[in-house]
Amino acid sequence: MDLTLRALNRFGLGARPGERGPISDPRGWLRGQIGGAPPALAAPEVASPTAIAEALRAVRAAGQDQAKRQEARRRLVAIALAESRACLTQRVGTERPYVERLVAFWSNHLCVSAAAKLQVAPLAGSYEREVIRPHVLGRFEDMVMASAKHPAMLIYLDNFQSIGPQSAGSKRARGNRAQRGLNENYARELLELHTLGVDGGYAQQDVQELARALTGWSVSGPGEPGAGAAPAMGRRRAAQNGGATSAAERVAFAYRALLHEPGSRTIVGKRYSDEGLAQGERTIRDLCRHASTARFVATKLVTHFVSDTPPPSAVDRIARVFRESEGDLRALSGALVDLTEAWSPDARKFRTPQDWLVAVMRAFGVKDVDEREVAVLRQLRHPLWSPAAPKGFGDSLQEWADPDSLLNRGELARTFTRRGAGRPIDPRELLEVVDVPPADPLRTLVADASIPAADRVALTIAGPAFQWR
Amino acid sequence: MNRRAFVRTMCQGGLATFACPLVTFAQVRQRGRLVFVLLRGGFDGLAAVVPHGDPAYASLRGALAYEEESLLPLDGTFGLSPGLAPLRELWQRDELVVLHAMAIPYRTRSHFDGQAILETGIDKPAGSADGWLNRLLQVMPGSRSGIAIAAGMPRSLSGSFDVQTWSPAKLGVVDDAYLQRLAVLYRGDAALSGRFEAALHQQDMVGEEPMAGSGARRGGIAPLMRAAAHILREDGGPNIAAMEFSGWDTHANQGLAGGALDRLLGQLAEGITAFRTEMQAAWATTTIVVMTEFGRTARPNGTRGTDHGTAGAGFLIGPNVAKSQVFADWPGLGDSALYEGRDLKPTLDTRAVLKAAIAGTFDLNAAQAGRVFPSSDNVKGAYHLMG
Repeated sequence: MDLTLRALNRFGLGARPGERGPISDPRGWLRGQIGGAPPALAAPEVASPTAIAEALRAVRAAGQDQAKRQEARRRLVAIALAESRACLTQRVGTERPYVERLVAFWSNHLCVSAAAKLQVAPLAGSYEREVIRPHVLGRFEDMVMASAKHPAMLIYLDNFQSIGPQSAGSKRARGNRAQRGLNENYARELLELHTLGVDGGYAQQDVQELARALTGWSVSGPGEPGAGAAPAMGRRRAAQNGGATSAAERVAFAYRALLHEPGSRTIVGKRYSDEGLAQGERTIRDLCRHASTARFVATKLVTHFVSDTPPPSAVDRIARVFRESEGDLRALSGALVDLTEAWSPDARKFRTPQDWLVAVMRAFGVKDVDEREVAVLRQLRHPLWSPAAPKGFGDSLQEWADPDSLLNRGELARTFTRRGAGRPIDPRELLEVVDVPPADPLRTLVADASIPAADRVALTIAGPAFQWR
Repeated sequence: MNRRAFVRTMCQGGLATFACPLVTFAQVRQRGRLVFVLLRGGFDGLAAVVPHGDPAYASLRGALAYEEESLLPLDGTFGLSPGLAPLRELWQRDELVVLHAMAIPYRTRSHFDGQAILETGIDKPAGSADGWLNRLLQVMPGSRSGIAIAAGMPRSLSGSFDVQTWSPAKLGVVDDAYLQRLAVLYRGDAALSGRFEAALHQQDMVGEEPMAGSGARRGGIAPLMRAAAHILREDGGPNIAAMEFSGWDTHANQGLAGGALDRLLGQLAEGITAFRTEMQAAWATTTIVVMTEFGRTARPNGTRGTDHGTAGAGFLIGPNVAKSQVFADWPGLGDSALYEGRDLKPTLDTRAVLKAAIAGTFDLNAAQAGRVFPSSDNVKGAYHLMG
C-alpha cells in the first residue's frame, strides 16, 4: 500500500500524474493544507445576490402562468449550473484537496437540497460559499449557526414560515386564510441530523420546544413566499429594526419578533428564558456542545475517512478531540490525519460519483468544467446539493456500488476517452494515480499495445482499483 | 462472442470461482413479484376513475367532466377514462382492483412530504426512515432481492437491505471486448466482482429489443415496463421492483379524451398490459400497485387544471386479487362532503391496501405486514382484496 496515494486519494480528491513524487511526508502534506484561512470562492457572475433575488422574484411573479414559470425556471437553473461549475472547478483544480473534501463533507452534513424545492436551487451554491467554506477550519457551532440563518436552509426546511401559535402576529391574523402555524421540520433535522443524532437523547417534546424557540427565524426579500397578513406585519417590524434594510436587493435572514412564540422553553433538559432571537441562538450553541453531538459527528467523520464500519477506537478519539476542543474543526481535521486506523491497509472507501468524476478529471489534468460534467453527475444520481432527503447523500459502498452504477461508470469512461481529454494521455502515467498491486491484471492491460490507448485509459478509470479511495 | 453468450459463459462457467449473485441456493427462493409504480406529481384520481354516477359530479367538474358514454363502465357509479380503456381485459379477467378516495395517512399538499410519507410508509415525516419496500425485503423470508427500475434510487427502496438499480443504458458506447476486459479486472476485486456480474446479467435479460426506439430515453412508460418484465420474469429474478413516472402534476390544461392527461393515462395502461404480456408464466405470481402522493382538487382551477389535493385513486393489479372491483368507501362530491371544502375526502389509507398486497403476494401474516408499516396498528389491512 502506498501511503502517499492514500493521502492523495483518501483524504484528497484524487492524485494527478506527477503529484506523488514531490510528497515525502504524506501526513505533513495534509497538515500543511489545513493551516491558514480556508480557500475562498467567489460568486459566479450570474449568481450575485441581486441576480438570485431577481430570479426568485420571477418565480413568485409567474404564479400559474406556464410560460412565465418556464422562463423563471430557466433563470434558476442557470444560476444553479454556474454554481455547480464553480464548485467542481474548485475541486478539480485545488492545491488543497483535503480542505475541499472537508467543505464537501460539511456541506453534505448540513445539506440543503435543490431537489426538494425549486427555490433552493439558486441558493445552494451561495449556501456552501457563505456558510460552510468560511467555517470549515473554524468552530462547528459557528457553522451550524450560520446554516440556521441562511435563507437556503430556512426555506429548505420550512422554518421561514413557522409561526408561534401564541405570537402577537399570529393572534392578529386569526381568521386570515393564509395563516400558518408551527413547523417542526427544521427543528427536527437540527436535532436528528445536524447535532445530537437520532439516538442522541431527545424526544418529540424537545422537537416542538425547539421549533417554538426558532419561530420568527425567517427570510426577507423575494425568497419569502405567501405574503399573508401575519408575515406582512412582521416584515414591517423587521425593516424598522434594520434587520431587512436591503430586503429589495437580496434574500437574507430576518428575525421577526412578532412571529416569535413568547415564553421560556425547555429543550433537552435545559431551560431557556425568552430573549427573542437569543433564545434560539443559545439553544443551538448548547446543542452543538452536547456530548451526543461530539459522538454523532465523530462517527460520521470516521465513517467518511476510514471505513463504512468505523472502528470504535477511532470514533472515541475523534469524539474526545471534538469535546476537548469545543468543536474546533481545524483540530478535528488534524486528528483525522493522525488516526492510525485511517492508514491501515484494509481501510478503504468506495468513491461516490462526485469523488469518482473529480478524480478522473484530476487524473486527466483537466482544468475546465463545463455543463457536460454537471450532466454526468445527474446521470450518476449525485448532482451537487440535491440529496433526496435532509440526511444528505451517503458515502458507503452499499449506497453507490450497485451493479447499474458500475456499468454506468464503464460506459462513461468510454465516452470520456472517445471524446478526448483535451490532451493525449499515456495510459501508463495513470498507474501513478491509482494504487495497483504488482500482480494486478490492470498492469498487463495497460502495457498491452494491441489495445487502443484510449481504451486502456478507459479501462483504468472504469476498473475496480480506481473506484476506491 | 455476443454479449448474451458472453454473460452466459461468465455466470455458468464461472460459478466455481464466483457465485452468480442473482441466484442463492442456501435459502428457499421467493416466487412472488411485487411492482410498486409511483406516479410522481399527484395524479388526478377523479379524471382517471370517473365517478359519473355521483349527483354532484358534472357540476363540480365543469369543463373537466366526462360524458358517461365515453367511459369504460365499471359499475353504476364509476367508469375508467378513455385513456385507461386498455385495462378492460384485466377487468374482465378479474385482475383489477380500482381504489378510490384513498390517501396517505398524513395530510399534506407538499410533493416532498407526500412522496416521503408514501415511500417510507411512516405516518408522519421522518428524516431518516428507510423506504417501505426496503423494510419489506428485510422482513420477507427466503432468498429475495429488489431492484429500482428508475434513473435514481427511489426513497421507497432505500435502506439497509442491499438492492440493485437498472436504468436504460447507452450500451452503444461499449462493445463486448471492452466489457470482457473490464470483467476480468472486476473479477480480481472480491467486494465488487459480484456486483459487476449482476450488471452484465441484468443487461443480458433486457436484451436490445424492448428498448428499441427512443421512447424509453424520453421516459416513455411502456418500453420501461416491458424492460422491467424481462428482468423480473427470470427464475430467481428480483421479487420487488420500484418504478416511477412523472408528469402528473397537471396544474393547467389537463384536458379530456385525447388531452395531455388522457394521453399519459393511455401510456400507463399500455405499459401495464405490455408488462403483463411480457411477464409470461411469471405473471401468475405477480402483483402491481399503482399509487400517487396525493389526489388533486375536486374542482378545476382557473387554468383548466387541478391543484394539489388530498384523496385520489390507485390500482391493485394481478391474478391474485380476489376479483375485479371498485374498492372505495365513497364520501361523495357534495360541497359538505369535500375535505376542507375542496378535495375528495380520504376514506381509505394507502397502507391498508399495501398491507394486503404484500401479504397476498408473499404469504406474509398480519404481524409481518405490520413490521413493514410501523405505527400502523390502527390500520387494518384490506386482506379480502387478495384471493
